[in-house]
Amino acid sequence: MSFFSKFPAMAKSDLRDFKKGIDGAYKDFSREYGEAIETFFDPLYYFLTWFEKLLNATPWPIIILIVGGLAYLGSRSWKLAVGAMISFLLIGYLGMWKNTMSTVALISVATLLCIVIGIPLGIWMSRSDRVQKLITPILDIMQTIPIFVYLLPVVMLLGIGKVPGLIAVCVYAMPPIIRLTNLGLRLVNKDILEAADAFGSNYRQRLINVQFPLALPNIFAGVNQTIMMALAMVVIASMIGVKGLGMPVLQSIQNQYLALGLMNGLAIVALAIIFDRVSQQYGKRLQRHREGGHDA
Amino acid sequence: MQKSILSAAIVAGALAISSGANASDCGDISMADMNWPSATLMANVDKIILEAGYGCEIDMVVGATTVTFASMNEKGQPDVAAELWINAVREPLFAAMDEGRLHSAREMPITDLGEGWWLPPYTKEAHPELKTVLDILERPDLFPDKEDPSRGAFIGCPAGWGCQLSNQNLFIAFEMEAKGWNLIDPGSQAGLDGSIVKANERGENWFGYYWAPTSMIGKYNLQLMPFGVPFAGAENWDGCVAKGPEACSDPKPSAWTKSEVHTVVTDRFKNVAGPAMDYFANRIWPGGVMGSMLVFMETEQADGPDAAAHFMEAHEDLWMQWVPADVAAKVKAAL
Repeated sequence: MSFFSKFPAMAKSDLRDFKKGIDGAYKDFSREYGEAIETFFDPLYYFLTWFEKLLNATPWPIIILIVGGLAYLGSRSWKLAVGAMISFLLIGYLGMWKNTMSTVALISVATLLCIVIGIPLGIWMSRSDRVQKLITPILDIMQTIPIFVYLLPVVMLLGIGKVPGLIAVCVYAMPPIIRLTNLGLRLVNKDILEAADAFGSNYRQRLINVQFPLALPNIFAGVNQTIMMALAMVVIASMIGVKGLGMPVLQSIQNQYLALGLMNGLAIVALAIIFDRVSQQYGKRLQRHREGGHDA
Repeated sequence: MQKSILSAAIVAGALAISSGANASDCGDISMADMNWPSATLMANVDKIILEAGYGCEIDMVVGATTVTFASMNEKGQPDVAAELWINAVREPLFAAMDEGRLHSAREMPITDLGEGWWLPPYTKEAHPELKTVLDILERPDLFPDKEDPSRGAFIGCPAGWGCQLSNQNLFIAFEMEAKGWNLIDPGSQAGLDGSIVKANERGENWFGYYWAPTSMIGKYNLQLMPFGVPFAGAENWDGCVAKGPEACSDPKPSAWTKSEVHTVVTDRFKNVAGPAMDYFANRIWPGGVMGSMLVFMETEQADGPDAAAHFMEAHEDLWMQWVPADVAAKVKAAL
């Protein structure tokens, strides 16, 4: 009878040994391979540090001009370009320039990393249903597992600072680009692919010249989502010692510094809006080009 | 005032009834089960001893410093907080103690507790010349900052914690910037703990802020470093160091302020459970025993009651000293 009223759980001592075993194994793993893994990520670390130093060393008027220029190139909208420049001026005026540069560096490198890893993974997924079935649950885990669960293991392995922060950001921000690359490639019209085959293109030609351009709006939506999610992780990344706009937010949360939190929070929002509008406009332009040209 | 006299009268009346009903009984007591390991261990050991030795019925109430204190202060519930760090609640606590609503049953129930700057034992052993913080500050080369290897890394306190401000200002007071140090913000407790675990598992040097009693300190046997300067007065600490560089940019070098921990009980408890007050007065946990118990709790992933049971078995010689012989016999029989 007690079988039904009380769940037949694992014995407490077994459960404890089980948990201890996992903890111990992870510690051994970190002791054994931690330094090697840290060295493996060093190039990434040097690149990020170099980029951050570059941003900080560049005179601010040049950064403002670059921001405006990039915004215009992406969106072809004067309004957006001027708006972006004004937000950066305001950010600098309110004393958040250095933190904003750190955050921009982190977000740019994180987005780049996600694209470099995510797009090939998405292509691989679109080619095989079996791979898709395998990767989809992993992406689900990456997007839903509470971040605090993997913060400590990451720190134990790599210490505190930029690289573990970057990894934490990418774990959360990479799934959209993989998913949307996969989706975009799968949604390409079968007739067009047949036509490409009929013209005798091999797989590589078909992928690069036909499938990829047609899937670009979807892939771009993925990039856009990745940037947004990376920005959402700025505060979390600060919880493992990444400098940037997240630090003052953390500080303000526990000390009830309303203005400090709001200012830095709004700076993150401003970055997000600029990144979002520019990349969306750019994606839309790609689509317009497509609709006007070959696909109609 | 009239109100408190009235309520005191009601409580006293209630007590008279309950003690009349069962004279040897200390009755129903609620006890705070705080959300950090040393406090939950102490509370569970208190529960075992008070129940078996003093005939109390203990009800555990989950708590945290400010919430539990507010409830004790306003509602007189729970009756006992075994490990209350009073720095956060100093003023209202002393006001309540003056009015006789709350009592300190034991000052400093754990020895060797407090905050400060720590080194791993192997670093201290390899560099016996590092006797104080002042000596360490001359050697930033021993603690290279990964992001800026020419400078030393001092791991401060996570962003937003009260200790962040104190660490920032001590960093200024000891002129650590000029001595070649960077103040690293670990961002969270996970960041701070992770940096200690990583350094100790790999035998790397580490220098930073932490506090005891904690399993971290116990497990890695981190060494609290004397600052090499005296405590420079409450005015400097409370009026400047603790306020952070924004509010006060002229801090003087100082040792860390003493942390005060009390076992706090309500007036009701003092009246119902008189003999148990003697138990609290005698109950002092040596820092080393507490440290080893916290390591046990972490490595065995034991919760409060499990750890308390283990403590009663493993440290009989210690708790036997806390209670009179007849009570000790009763507790031992109940185990």
